[in-house]
Amino acid sequence: MFFTLLKKLLRSAVVLLIVLFATFALMFGNGEGIARGILGLGANEQDIQNKMQQLGLDRPLLVQFWDWLTGVVTGDLGKSYFTGETVSSALQNRLPVTLSLVIPTVIIAVVISVFLGVAAAYYGGWLDRTVQTATGIGAAIPGFIVGVALVFAFAVAIPLFPATGYVPFTTSPAGWVASITLPVITLLIGSIAGLAAQVRGAVIDTQSRDFVRTLRARGVSEAAIVFRHVLRTASGPAITAVGLIVIGLLGGVVFAEQIFALPGIGQLLNLSAQSGDVEMVMGCVLVMTLILLIVNFAVDTANVLLNPKARIS
Amino acid sequence: MRRTRRALAAIAVPATALALVLAGCSGQTSTAGGSSAGGSAGGSATDTLTLGMTADINGWDPSAQPPYQAWGIEAVYDQLVQCDTSGGIIPEAAESWEISPDNTSFTAHLRPGQKFSDGTPVDAAAVQASFEPLIKSASDRYGGVTFASPDANTITITWPEPQPLLNNRVCSPQIASAKYLASGDLNTAPVGSGPYVFNAANSTSGSIYSFDKNPSYWGADQYPYQHLELRVLADETASLNALKTGQIDGTLITPALYDQAKSAGMSTLQTSVGIIQFQLTDRAGEKIPALGNLKVRQAMNMVLDEQAISDQLFQGHAKPVHQIFGETSQAYIKDLGDPYPYDVDKAKQLMQESGFGDGFTLTVPTMEGQPWLPILPYVTQQLGLLNIKVEQKALTGPDAINQLISGDYPAPLWGLGGSSDSIQDISIQVLDTGFWNVSHQPDATIDALWQKIVTGNQDEKVAAQQEINKYVTENAWFVPIVAPFGFYAYSNAVSVPQMSDPNGGHPLLRDFQKN
Repeated sequence: MFFTLLKKLLRSAVVLLIVLFATFALMFGNGEGIARGILGLGANEQDIQNKMQQLGLDRPLLVQFWDWLTGVVTGDLGKSYFTGETVSSALQNRLPVTLSLVIPTVIIAVVISVFLGVAAAYYGGWLDRTVQTATGIGAAIPGFIVGVALVFAFAVAIPLFPATGYVPFTTSPAGWVASITLPVITLLIGSIAGLAAQVRGAVIDTQSRDFVRTLRARGVSEAAIVFRHVLRTASGPAITAVGLIVIGLLGGVVFAEQIFALPGIGQLLNLSAQSGDVEMVMGCVLVMTLILLIVNFAVDTANVLLNPKARIS
Repeated sequence: MRRTRRALAAIAVPATALALVLAGCSGQTSTAGGSSAGGSAGGSATDTLTLGMTADINGWDPSAQPPYQAWGIEAVYDQLVQCDTSGGIIPEAAESWEISPDNTSFTAHLRPGQKFSDGTPVDAAAVQASFEPLIKSASDRYGGVTFASPDANTITITWPEPQPLLNNRVCSPQIASAKYLASGDLNTAPVGSGPYVFNAANSTSGSIYSFDKNPSYWGADQYPYQHLELRVLADETASLNALKTGQIDGTLITPALYDQAKSAGMSTLQTSVGIIQFQLTDRAGEKIPALGNLKVRQAMNMVLDEQAISDQLFQGHAKPVHQIFGETSQAYIKDLGDPYPYDVDKAKQLMQESGFGDGFTLTVPTMEGQPWLPILPYVTQQLGLLNIKVEQKALTGPDAINQLISGDYPAPLWGLGGSSDSIQDISIQVLDTGFWNVSHQPDATIDALWQKIVTGNQDEKVAAQQEINKYVTENAWFVPIVAPFGFYAYSNAVSVPQMSDPNGGHPLLRDFQKN
């Protein structure tokens, strides 16, 4: 089992390097274009060459990438071309904001989805149909529309929550909760829709297995059957779905942070990509790819721990 | 609910991670000064002006600041002089000045006793240190500039060539402390002598910038607020929501949100965002032979119904224009009227007469988010009536601007110009060295008239500019279409009696007064 996980770790590292290099090549491939983007329309040829030299954009691509990579290891990710802020300090300031959206969403989504999925699978009937319809609608509505509707309903029309802005936990815990409530609900709708359907499907699948019938015949209580045996077997696809949900959330935070003007990594990535601030984009891509790979690894590990069949790779 | 131990672990791990994140990382996050719970007016407390910005501040380097949405820069820095809305200059750090008759040098007399926020005095050395970076970074405008200062409060700035745009050259740079400029770190916090001082402790970069009033500023009476807060709200819906709920006192909005802002009780100011126009730069017909023919260019001017475009495609938030120069500029000809009235039949006839009745293909470069994109389908349809086939080419990525002005697209359609400074617009659009004159084809008539602008007296300057205007209009160098309106929306917590921005883009910081 240890070697399985080690192999997965190595594979993740290789994927990370490939993604980083591909992104780097795309972003830094056109040094002149970057310089022009910074200096604006009025710049002449000489100004552009000066700028390129100043930023080191006239060196070969592999040299620039190696430089950047060694910088990552020492913690120096470069500086923004526009605001001069160091990339690492920008990411440090913004990561808690994005995590304040992603982590509560995942936790609440898991809790609610397991509850809904199990209830739908076990009780069937109208409850099952309601859950299916609700998750269908939740998955179909674009998250952006949910966000805009929530802002209008609960921030503008009825001023219960702030329309924009993020309050750090250390400034005011109550303010923090208020500022993340609407964005988290926005992200929850799509996440629960996907996850609840997965849990329901996995539980229904497991319920019909022989071993469940045997347990029932042996007199094990229904609750114990559900929570100790069925859930553990059904957890395989469900945990994989959690992994996918987290990955989807990394995309979802981009628009959630935009609607609610939250200074997180998604917003940073969006604005940096639009303005051509390539150092910042690379920093965001690095963080997001790391999160993705960590989540994937955690999902694989959880699967291995919970499901003996996954231990053979 | 009872769960297996492993399932518990699955919950406990992210919960612990959350706690660690909050405890560890938020210690390093600088606290935001402006929080708002619910809909209460967090930003419009009587002594704090809170403004929304649709783009972030680009660092604090005084020599590298765009003039748009520069409230933070206006707050912390003074300029030597300020450009006013009619092309003249008014005192700022300099209380008086002399300009040499040949427009090559500017002698400024600084107000005595001003200090930067690091304690150093606002003197000739600081002014020189503030202009010097531009010699390299904006060499087309400040290359070869030299300085002389007979005493600490006087400085003479001399250009190698006469500068018809001298006013613009001296009012653009921000004045910062020489010590700060030499320190190499221009982006953590600014050191200027402006009406406010940056409060880094209450700011979060990229999100909220906080400033406190500088009581020893020479013009402190012009700024009634003790505190200033700028919030970065890149999404226009978010900024309108923040305005409606009282989190901010004012923000730029697009015409699409005008109705919403009005019905929420906001006041609006109309702003200028340039003129949507074709630059028909290939007048020698090198790349597109048809564009070398005057009748073809005139036909293109006559086939668009500008009133309909304004009324329907911009919901009335635009007006037709027939000259590329702004109405308040010196080149504008008041009774020119419409030299190319809307007449599709006449346009078709001109095309036939030109010999290019079979038309040609015109590639129009586009970029996402451009405000003129709504008119492109209509323009395509109308030019199609003249057998001119419009093909769109979307430009993306960091190279987009390069490609746009490279000359590969000899007739770009874009929103630009129309400012109150027509000499500036001429130098950019009409001269063969102008970056919007993408084919860079020389014209002797224009060069001769430009010399009159460079060397002539005030009346000769104005006359030459109007001559240029007539020349480019008669020769259909451009297709000016409409001037769309932008809007600045603000709540009744503030009053904005005027807009001092010479570009007409939005109110300046000094324009915001308490209501």
